[in-house]
Amino acid sequence: MGRRRRRVDPADAAGALPAAITALSRALPGGPSPETFRRAKFDRPEAAPALWRLLFHVLSPRPADDAAALPTPEAQARLVKSVLRSQGYPRRALVQLPEDGSQGSRELLLALSWLLARGPLLERLLAQIRVRLGDEMPVCECEVLASPGPPAPRVEADGCVDIRHLQWLMGKLRFRWRNLITSQQEHCALLGKVHSYTRGCHSDRSLGHLSVTEAELLRDPEGGRQLLRRLESENARLEAALEWRRRELVFWQWMDTVLDACPPEASQPTFLPRILERGAGELELVARELQALQEELQAVVEPRRAAWEARVGGWGPGWKATQRASEEAVRQELTALQRAWERGGGLAQPHGPHRLVRSEAGTLGGPGLCATEVIKALRSREACLEAALRQLQGQCRQELARLVGALPGFIWILPPGC
Amino acid sequence: MSIVTVQLGQCGNQIGFEVFDALFIDSHCPQRLSSKRENEAYQASCKERFFSEEENGVPIARAVLVDMEPKVINQTLSKAAQSGRWKYGQHSSFCQKQGSGNNWAYGYSVHGPRHEESIRNLIQKEVEKCDSLSGFFIIMSMAGGTGSGLGAFVTQNLQDQYSNSLKMNQIIWPYGTGEVIVQNYNSVLTLSHLYRSSDALLVHENDAVHKICAKLMNIKQISFSDINQVLAHQLGSVFQPTYSAEGSFHYRRNPLVLEAGKSKIRTPVDSASGDLMENLVPHPEFKMLGVRNIPQMSENSLAYSTFTWAGLLKHLRQMLISNAKMEEGIDWQIRPPLPGLPNLSKMSLNKELHFNTSIANLLILRGKDVHSADLEGFKDPALYTSWLEPVNAFNVWRTQRAFSKYEKSAALVSNSQFLVKPLDMIVGKAWNMFASKAYVHQYTKFGIEEEDFLDSFALLEQVVASYCTL
Repeated sequence: MGRRRRRVDPADAAGALPAAITALSRALPGGPSPETFRRAKFDRPEAAPALWRLLFHVLSPRPADDAAALPTPEAQARLVKSVLRSQGYPRRALVQLPEDGSQGSRELLLALSWLLARGPLLERLLAQIRVRLGDEMPVCECEVLASPGPPAPRVEADGCVDIRHLQWLMGKLRFRWRNLITSQQEHCALLGKVHSYTRGCHSDRSLGHLSVTEAELLRDPEGGRQLLRRLESENARLEAALEWRRRELVFWQWMDTVLDACPPEASQPTFLPRILERGAGELELVARELQALQEELQAVVEPRRAAWEARVGGWGPGWKATQRASEEAVRQELTALQRAWERGGGLAQPHGPHRLVRSEAGTLGGPGLCATEVIKALRSREACLEAALRQLQGQCRQELARLVGALPGFIWILPPGC
Repeated sequence: MSIVTVQLGQCGNQIGFEVFDALFIDSHCPQRLSSKRENEAYQASCKERFFSEEENGVPIARAVLVDMEPKVINQTLSKAAQSGRWKYGQHSSFCQKQGSGNNWAYGYSVHGPRHEESIRNLIQKEVEKCDSLSGFFIIMSMAGGTGSGLGAFVTQNLQDQYSNSLKMNQIIWPYGTGEVIVQNYNSVLTLSHLYRSSDALLVHENDAVHKICAKLMNIKQISFSDINQVLAHQLGSVFQPTYSAEGSFHYRRNPLVLEAGKSKIRTPVDSASGDLMENLVPHPEFKMLGVRNIPQMSENSLAYSTFTWAGLLKHLRQMLISNAKMEEGIDWQIRPPLPGLPNLSKMSLNKELHFNTSIANLLILRGKDVHSADLEGFKDPALYTSWLEPVNAFNVWRTQRAFSKYEKSAALVSNSQFLVKPLDMIVGKAWNMFASKAYVHQYTKFGIEEEDFLDSFALLEQVVASYCTL
């Protein structure tokens, strides 16, 4: 955890805490007033609603949108609790808070500090609201997959559902998927046009061409003013974040006093899996230990396996065939896993959004990714997923065939296109 | 959003021409009732879909022409060029010297693989001209050799190569009396193959369109050109632009799919309330679509007629439930089954009265006071299968801009039982021939084995059974 203790000049200390909290507040989305923090230390209920709202903004999977209506306090509290739990927040007192959002300001302050101390929270939030001048494209979907997303709508079926209705809905979904791909392709084709028509227009030589936003700026000055306003507000938040960085020490010292004011909770040891940078020697040690364990295991397994085989030897050829089939299946799965591992390990997977820059073949320098390489990595990932899908489909087909086989006199006709 | 049309065989090429011509003429026809701005938006939307950048001011159809004989392609190209309104691209056609002799197997197994690459390149070039490709519209007959056999092959190729693009096949159902002895074989093979590779099969029956020409258009000597014009009119009334959402006045960019309207660069379009493929054919066993339209008449009669939305929709609804292809000769006795009856009796009742149950319907209204039209008649749950609610099964598109010369007009695209009977008939006839092994060697000779026939029969019988038990 990023807490460093240093001596703070007591003369500064008086004004330092409010300044630190103000900076933090300004760096957070819709941050509450510093007074709220002070009240939260004493667990005053009037500070609670603002902190629930703040935590909701911080933990919500979608970046805060000013125009979007906030969900009800109950929904906010539920989301805050469940996201904190899924991230491993240890205090049970938080879970037990009422969901009407009326209480628990101190617990919420602790949770917020926990989030701040734990990882790059501010950085992530700032990245979310960043003004994007370039045409960006995510190279992975891991963030989307990791966020809980909107809750799945649940339809309660009264009585039985006609399978044809499900097939109909599935078909609709397929058409939408195809349409989505078509619009993505159109989007890319049009981006390509903007990039090639504006070649040489950009003041930044390493980019060479304009993005859609930049091209829009040339056409629409009012849009330019709006963009300027957004940039200014982003700048203000960045400055506040810097200020917070300089002053956070005093905040943490103050938080110690908050923690002292808390009734101690029957502490359960929490364990956050975190890979620390250690020397290679330690890894070596672990590897050797693993090796030894494996050998030991081998030695134990062999005689047991021999004994087992001797016992089942008398069970006939059917048993043998089943055994061979499962061995084969395991081997295949292992190879697939190994292949996936090797592929994943070879190249560090690129993450997050990247600006699309069109460049002449071979002229790309610097830290950027090459589109063809990203595409190659994605293709191999796609192949892995498709193999897994085919395997699952094969299993379903086998199961269906088995079920159909149980009904004599039936001919099984696959629906067309399946 | 653009659509690339693939015209295959004699029938596909002739119809393709009429469709483009109908689309172009309609989008340029003078409109008293719409504002200049609205007309321009309508024109631009139509152009983006079906035509590409003009060459010397003449728009070029987003189309690829394929036939194994040069005659029809040459006629089609020159007819378009002579119209002076629009034309086909200079290098957008592919033809050979030798046809398929009405043998599906020859088109599918010989012509297909032999010319696969040339056709694929041609299509690819057309696709590259689109900023965004929404899908393919493939026009072909069902009963012949080239259009149907090669068409099935090309559709399958498109499915492999552009699996995310939508594919709709316009299929011409042969006359019941039949011109070709093996038309039932060819039809069974075409339908079963398309059922696997296409998203929707939009079917026009020659017999039905012929009757429209005779009864409604008062044409004495009916030619293929007359039939194709009626057909093109129906397709145009479906594919021309409509507003993207209920209550909106933006034109829908893509007739085949839902609009996301999120692209930063273009003006955002409201998300559509409904779209053709997603609303009509998401189920893999139900892909058959039919079109009905009203009013349909010769220009002479049109001058002396007035219409009300209530009257038009009342007729159109009865056309749907009684499975009538045109306004004339509707059986008004047929009523939707009473609600609350158990499923079994509903089924037998339907059979007796030939009530046509729908899975889903899309109604397209064009013209004056379009927002005043009352649609309650189409939202009756009794019209639809028990496993879909009307709110999911019924959709409407509208525009105030009139279509062609009709002040008010309505078209209905439906996924319903309308084809069960003809399909059952074709499968039955083909099966009888197959049981006596008649002409099968003509197919096995080119690599279509008996096993393939059996698979096709099984699939189509399943389709008939699925539609019967809605």
